[in-house]
Amino acid sequence: METLRLEIVTPDGQIFANNVKSVTLPGSEGEFGVLPHHASLVSLLKTGVIDIELTSGGHEVVAIDWGHAEIDEEKVTILADGAVAIVGENDSEIANSIDKAKKLIESMSDSPVAIAMAEAKIDAILKHKTY
Amino acid sequence: MANLKEIKRKIKSVENTKKTTRAMKLVSTAKLRRAEMAAKKSRVYAQKINEVLSEIAYKINQYKVGGIDSRYFDIRENIEKVDIVFVTADKGLCGGFNIQTIKQVQALMKEYKDKKVKVRLRAIGRKGIEFFKFQGIDLLTSDIGVSSSPTYEKAGEIIRKAIDDFENGVTNKIILIHNGYKNMISQELKVVDIVPIEEPAKDESYSKSMMELEPEDDETILNSLMKKYFEYNMYYALIDSLAAEHSARMQAMENATNNASDRVHQLTLAYNKARQESITTELIEIISGVESMK
Repeated sequence: METLRLEIVTPDGQIFANNVKSVTLPGSEGEFGVLPHHASLVSLLKTGVIDIELTSGGHEVVAIDWGHAEIDEEKVTILADGAVAIVGENDSEIANSIDKAKKLIESMSDSPVAIAMAEAKIDAILKHKTY
Repeated sequence: MANLKEIKRKIKSVENTKKTTRAMKLVSTAKLRRAEMAAKKSRVYAQKINEVLSEIAYKINQYKVGGIDSRYFDIRENIEKVDIVFVTADKGLCGGFNIQTIKQVQALMKEYKDKKVKVRLRAIGRKGIEFFKFQGIDLLTSDIGVSSSPTYEKAGEIIRKAIDDFENGVTNKIILIHNGYKNMISQELKVVDIVPIEEPAKDESYSKSMMELEPEDDETILNSLMKKYFEYNMYYALIDSLAAEHSARMQAMENATNNASDRVHQLTLAYNKARQESITTELIEIISGVESMK
């Protein structure tokens, strides 16, 4: 299976580094998906949610406030100012990280529509997530 | 007897010094742990942003992406004026930490002067500022208090001044020097050319294909990325330097404590010897007194 290397780093450290199937990013010009062999691209990212499709078929969600993505054929590097990965061992931990992610998005964006959209997206992805 | 008293006084004073140095070592150890964590956390981000920028530099020079003719990436430009930004500590008592940075700055100054390139200095940290002031070398800017408690905002402010001059064509190159943290016992001098951004080393594996920018109006994304790059590099230099400073001081203070212990040991031996001597002298006096009475 073809994979691409995804790395998400923030000033507070590395949030994610692994080989993934695909990733969907909140570009400033609109959301876009990246598969292996994507053309080289540098893009601005806005407040939103990164949807990662893992090699296992599962999904992982990372909320970011603002950043840059550098994409080439084999790898995607995301430099974000703030990012919260929604992960946890059990339901309460996951709920906790969702809260944090929502707070991060709310703190950055002043448009209620953008906030609602990002939150809806988190919920939608998590519904399909297999733990 | 006067000699005995004197040695005892010396022992006491060395012991006091030892107490101080030991306390300073402990303080540095505690501070180091925090500073080290901060530096380690940010290291990944700093590395990544530099990697990304140098790849972009390569692609822009290779393909002239979007017709960008940015000074940021032009490594062929003739260098006439260089800004050296260097970071030293605000405080001393940390071994060769500050002097290493200063020597590097002097070496670079000499190197560029020989090439008839004008060099301007921007100093951060009291020790570096004091040194160059004493030497009678002019500093363009000097900031005190930042190196002991770095913040992202202050780092941004400082580097902004240098970047503005670069953008207006006053300077052609900016070099950032700081003494960085390597591990608990060693520091590593880091000299980084901030602008123009260098291309990655030839043998590195990275995509060599054409690159697109989004949003397409290339100024927006490059400007925001460059701003981040400058500020973050400066900020990273400051926190890395702080971690290194604490590790250097910890080591210096440990050495000082050990030396103090050695000195106390030597002085105690001298004290015992002197005591023995005075006892012997007294005994001889008594015995000879008794002998003369016979």
